[in-house]
Amino acid sequence: MSKSFFIDTTLCTACRACQVACKQWHDLPAEETENRGTYENPADLSFDTYKLVRMREEVIGGKLQWLFFPEQCRHCAEAPCLDTAGDETAVYKDAATGAIIFTANTKGLNVDEIIESCPYNIPRKGPDGTLAKCDMCLDRVHNGLLPACVKTCPTGAMNFGERSEMVALAKSRLSTVKKTNPKAALLDPDDVNVIYLVTEKPSLYHEFAVASNTAFDITRQVALRRMFKPLTNIVSRLL
Amino acid sequence: MKVTRREFIQVTGATAAGLAVSGLGFDLKPVKAHAQMLKTKYAKETTTICCYCAVGCGAIVHTSKRGDGRVINIEGDPDHVINRGSLCSKGASLKQLTENENRLTEPMYRAPYSKEWKQVSWDWALSKIAKRVKETRDATFKVKNKKGQVVNRTEGIVSVGSSALDNEECWIYQALMRSLGLVYVEHQARI
Amino acid sequence: MTNHWIDIKNSDCILIMGSNAAENHPISFKYVTEAQQKGAKLISVDPRFTRTSSKADIYTALRSGTDIAFLGGMIKYLLDNKLYNKEYIANYTNAPFIVGKSFKFNKGLFSGYEAAKKGQGPALGKYDKKKWGFEMDKNGVPKMDRSLKNSRSVFQLLKKHYKRYNTKLVSKITGTSREDLLKVYKTYAATGARGKAGTIMYAMGWTQHTVGTQNIRTMAMIQLLLGNMGVAGGGVNALRGESNVQGSTDHCLLWHIWPGYLKTPRASNVSLAAYNKKWTPKSNDPLSANWWQNYPKYSVSLLKSFFGEKATKKNDFGYDWLPKVDDGKAYSWFDLFDAMYKGTVKGFFAWGMNPACSGSNANKNRKAMAKLDWMVNVNLFDNETGSFWKGPGVNPSKIKTEVFMLPACTSVEKEGSITNSGRWMQWRYQGPKPLGNSLSDGDIIMELGNKIKAAYRKSGVSSEAIRNLKWDYLTHGEYDPHKVAKEINGYYLEGPKKGKLVESFGKLKADGSTSSANWLYCHSYTEKGNMSARRSKKDAPNNIGLYPEFAWCWPVNRRIIYNRASVDLKGQPWDKKDWVVKFTGDVKDGKYVSKKWIGDVPDGGWYPLENPDGSKRKDAKYAFIMRKHGHAQIFGPGRADGPFPEHYEPLESPIAKNLMNPQRMNPTAVVYTTDADAYATNSAKYPYVCSTYRVSEHWQTGLMTRPQAWLLELQPQVFVEMSEELAKIRKIKNGERVKVASARGSLECTAIVTKRFKPFKIAGKTVHQVGVPWNFGWRWPESGKEESANLLTPPTGDPNTRIPETKAFMVNIKKI
Repeated sequence: MSKSFFIDTTLCTACRACQVACKQWHDLPAEETENRGTYENPADLSFDTYKLVRMREEVIGGKLQWLFFPEQCRHCAEAPCLDTAGDETAVYKDAATGAIIFTANTKGLNVDEIIESCPYNIPRKGPDGTLAKCDMCLDRVHNGLLPACVKTCPTGAMNFGERSEMVALAKSRLSTVKKTNPKAALLDPDDVNVIYLVTEKPSLYHEFAVASNTAFDITRQVALRRMFKPLTNIVSRLL
Repeated sequence: MKVTRREFIQVTGATAAGLAVSGLGFDLKPVKAHAQMLKTKYAKETTTICCYCAVGCGAIVHTSKRGDGRVINIEGDPDHVINRGSLCSKGASLKQLTENENRLTEPMYRAPYSKEWKQVSWDWALSKIAKRVKETRDATFKVKNKKGQVVNRTEGIVSVGSSALDNEECWIYQALMRSLGLVYVEHQARI
Repeated sequence: MTNHWIDIKNSDCILIMGSNAAENHPISFKYVTEAQQKGAKLISVDPRFTRTSSKADIYTALRSGTDIAFLGGMIKYLLDNKLYNKEYIANYTNAPFIVGKSFKFNKGLFSGYEAAKKGQGPALGKYDKKKWGFEMDKNGVPKMDRSLKNSRSVFQLLKKHYKRYNTKLVSKITGTSREDLLKVYKTYAATGARGKAGTIMYAMGWTQHTVGTQNIRTMAMIQLLLGNMGVAGGGVNALRGESNVQGSTDHCLLWHIWPGYLKTPRASNVSLAAYNKKWTPKSNDPLSANWWQNYPKYSVSLLKSFFGEKATKKNDFGYDWLPKVDDGKAYSWFDLFDAMYKGTVKGFFAWGMNPACSGSNANKNRKAMAKLDWMVNVNLFDNETGSFWKGPGVNPSKIKTEVFMLPACTSVEKEGSITNSGRWMQWRYQGPKPLGNSLSDGDIIMELGNKIKAAYRKSGVSSEAIRNLKWDYLTHGEYDPHKVAKEINGYYLEGPKKGKLVESFGKLKADGSTSSANWLYCHSYTEKGNMSARRSKKDAPNNIGLYPEFAWCWPVNRRIIYNRASVDLKGQPWDKKDWVVKFTGDVKDGKYVSKKWIGDVPDGGWYPLENPDGSKRKDAKYAFIMRKHGHAQIFGPGRADGPFPEHYEPLESPIAKNLMNPQRMNPTAVVYTTDADAYATNSAKYPYVCSTYRVSEHWQTGLMTRPQAWLLELQPQVFVEMSEELAKIRKIKNGERVKVASARGSLECTAIVTKRFKPFKIAGKTVHQVGVPWNFGWRWPESGKEESANLLTPPTGDPNTRIPETKAFMVNIKKI
């Protein structure tokens, strides 16, 4: 059975505990940042930052919304990065959970190609050329604990469990949220193990919120072995 | 104290130790033969209440039983009825508050007109403070006010703080200050 | 909080105003979210759209400092549309009380006002509160008209007072549109229906004003009108900001109160008897519990804890030894820094506190520190207070102050209890040992006390209090929090139970036969053990999340205070589903014949006011047992600035006149007047309204978060938030460094140009508002460029509390 996250952005308050909990558990160093005219920081995912809450101010239908999107690796069902790497000692799928795991052996591979293959623009290169990203807190999960980001989330925005349970939860929340937000949708739910629920156009949350975002560089898509389906088809197929 | 692990386990159906290599910097030979152990497995577990805001969230502190005996991990206490395992960004960083190289670890003294701190011993610092307290108090102490009423106070010493103290510390702190005759005793609730 | 964190989930409408809970109390949103998922409405009212607002069903903005106008409009709406709970206010509040004829309100002033003469300050004026008294009957009981029709009844006077607060005028003052005002009023008013509950979550956004106390009173009055006090999902909930600010307030680390909210003795209280007489309220109404009639039991038990066996009847239990304050003088935060600035203070302790950044008008406080002979700063990190002598613009060779910096350990390195905002006392345990040579505050205090006591053994001025102070809280030479916790609870000192811990404060005595260092905590550590360490997750029978055996809560483990107001006169809950307490005594012939309450610990276990057949009982007590007359106060004659809240402009405001009445600002507010206390109102030099606030990622002055790399990564720099409209006028680009200045100081900030601030239309004029978080200071981050927003904040505060007006003042902004 694979595991999945369900991230309900309608409940996210951008408290960013998930960002810190991730660093805390993984003993990741802080980055030197500066205020760039936004609360969002660091500016991007990095070798030392696997989780990042994107914060966007948008006026939609005359109403101001502050959209929050806790970004992380989607642990794709058919992960392009894994196929691109082609080395099971460097990138592999954990059989028990479906987690896509990067190891120190990514060093020396063509990491730029691996990065380029990711439809969500997740992997990041370290100073010595190794790659890093969210590891689903596999040590925790294998020992019966929730991933650090999910455990710390106060509101229920972050959820984790058996894929079937998460899919059911995602569907149930979608149908509730749709009553007040007709545009509500799940992002790429069949293809990934990190399912987001959003209420607005995905690109408003973050450039790489969905795989088939139009802002997406065409070369990146070409690099994919399996093309993701267009947005209109994928968002609500679970219903 | 007794803290059991009873509900620390949250995800159902997990196996004890899987084949996982997370993060980086590990020696990966052989890659999948390394059954990863939780870093908290052999640590001492104690419960605490977060020291930031007044929601009063519970957290579990994992302290190494070996070596320097320092904190390995602090995360939300799932058995705490208020926060049920969750913590905010500040709470999630509790470990870094304690294990922090910026912390003060020695009493320091700055002499009048000096440009720098000097490290001193506790005994030296507290003896000198006691001496200063007595000098100032005795020089400024008023047994009676202008109306001739008994007031037994000093307005020459002021103390502010502290909602950062435990209840028990608060009580002995205010008792000591009031016994000295301080009336200027104030704290965070005023600001 | 009258209620507690988990209880928020029971609410039907949550008003977050004067606080930003999602950012400053993030875990509260677990329960806000849960309530919303059950259908509750969330209303966010804030000058700035926040992370709280992002989750709200209704968001609207108001100009900082106009909350009373906003809420006064709601009172008018409730009264005009008869949306109040009449049975509740007629029986549980002083709405039916008849106010004496000398009470008047005219041109923004209540009767009895006297302006301060020159040099008399810092209060601008004061009232003779005797003018606001109730009419009494021949037995000395307030006259009442429970029909609420008497023209001198509180209810009718309330109607008259708020008649002026129409939405047109309120909108002109607050800048909130009339549509939005009505939307908020209507939504919140729906909680007046039986079985519905509305709650308010507020914090410093309400307290830090020259009308701070009255901001909260206005909301408390709304809660009473709607019958929301005492019920699950209701109450008036102050979201307190520090982990033990509640406990440290309960233990009264404040000039005006002694542990357990007893009064600091005034010089005119010349003996213990005089002190007890002065502060023990008397009620002639047999139906009023008047709980404070027990005052002498608590004061004597406290003195027994202070001085142990040295406190005897003969020496007034040591009452004389303790310091007395002069009548009519305040010794508050503002006043002590004013005295320090004027050079009369020689020695200073800053214990786990960073006043160089935390106090309003911090430049004055920093300058004041240079006038000290010595300072002791106890903290986890080097900070702007302890190192003030090398701060920006300070030449160390000119600073005489001797400074001792003592390293305290962190909370996980020691054992003891803290009390959360919901009044829960919770025990925590030691994980690692203190780092390096740091020590617990308890060890530092004990050792300092021992050294001071030793110094006074030989000689010293009037040292009875020091020498006789009971100071036996060490075990094997180390501070023992259990010993203190037991002393706080209290012991039997005589009789068959001598040496045993007192079960609860009902057993305390005024004759010296019991001790209790804080009567409110009597019941917290008994012969049954340390109640605060309890961990049971079993809920109470009403299943509303009280968790009565998890930790311990004051008073006597009552989780929702004023809970006797959650039931009708017959003791049956207004809300049948989420009930708090319920009377289940036996009934015979329509009368209750046995006493039994279930649910939460009731606010007194007396019979309900009425029998099931509607007959009145003589052995009952009114619901609000802590009030002298047993009724909650819609009319509050004890407040310094009037019995009804009234809108006044802040000291510094963007308009020349108060549109509500001819008094521009609160006529009783305190304003300080040294050369460091400048201000500028309605001035072209400082045209923008500014408010300070906090960010989720830092805490208070930031001293316990700025040295942490993970948190600094999230919020690395002080910023000023402003609207796109204002940025355009000032030609400021997002992310640029700018200078924000007030009449008192300035600091460099990064501009955040945001849609979350919008200009207000105030009386036809465009008014811009900006905001700066006060979480920063020059010591951390080590760049030294991020300073405290309190360099800007004004030298004025609330007349009741002297809390500064850091939420509404005027600034200017310039590109650097």
